[in-house]
Amino acid sequence: MNKKEFLGRLSELIKDIPEEEKKDILFDYEEHFRIGLEKGRKEEEIAASLGDPKVIAKQSRASCILKEAEKTTSASNIIRAIFAAVGLGFFNLVIVLGPAIGLIGILVALFASAFAITVSGVALLFGTLIGPVFAWNVYIPFTAVVSIPLGIGLTALGLLSLIGVFYLTKFFYKFSISYLKMNLQIITNRRNRE
Amino acid sequence: MNIQFKKGVLELCVLSMLERQVCYGYELVNEISKSISISEGTIYPLLRRLKSEEFVTTYLQESQEGPPRKYYKLTELGRKKEEELKEEWFTFVKDVNNFLKGSEKNE
Repeated sequence: MNKKEFLGRLSELIKDIPEEEKKDILFDYEEHFRIGLEKGRKEEEIAASLGDPKVIAKQSRASCILKEAEKTTSASNIIRAIFAAVGLGFFNLVIVLGPAIGLIGILVALFASAFAITVSGVALLFGTLIGPVFAWNVYIPFTAVVSIPLGIGLTALGLLSLIGVFYLTKFFYKFSISYLKMNLQIITNRRNRE
Repeated sequence: MNIQFKKGVLELCVLSMLERQVCYGYELVNEISKSISISEGTIYPLLRRLKSEEFVTTYLQESQEGPPRKYYKLTELGRKKEEELKEEWFTFVKDVNNFLKGSEKNE
């Protein structure tokens, strides 16, 4: 794309904004081309590094809109809105909420498994002990020599897992708190200063 | 680097450069694009916004090489804004660094 094509496309893309603004915008890019040429660059090269006229048009029109929005919102509010969009929308939704749901899922699954192991251990132990009394209700596929140590082992394993999950939960909790604190600090710092 | 993120710091870079010296558009664009890879054309809409927010003023000045150029000058308000954004930036970087160091220890 050469200078004429670039400016032509840009002009076409921003034709719906006030004439004065449009002239002003085009003047800036004309000047940019002029100085670039003075510095010995080629028109095509300058156009390429300026980027897509579509993107520029979008931004120029957006700033026209922002100018309107300014009448009701302050400048710092807009900057805060940008930071907020990036900070809250992007970080918190993608980097906090997603993993948080994942972590909670994992913790619930781990807790359920640990609980199940404990229950199975206890059941095996009791089953072995009361099996002879309620023989018609309980079926244990092992002899007592196997099932009692197995029951104790499973119970112990289950309880240990529960403790493990408990600590893991605590760790994740602390981790999340420190992250959110940092996040909040940045946001409130900005608010305090305004 | 994330485009949204770049856009956020671009304003600080422009203000910071104007804090050091009065510039014309091409000069600003050229200097900044040396450090941050961004479509050069996007700096002009930003400059227009900074002007409408009264952080910068513009004036035309003759150049030795040809027609007059549009120069950008930081206003008092712009100077304050630059300080504010710079402070926010350093706080932000420090917080993120601390956090990254912290999560390294936890691992």
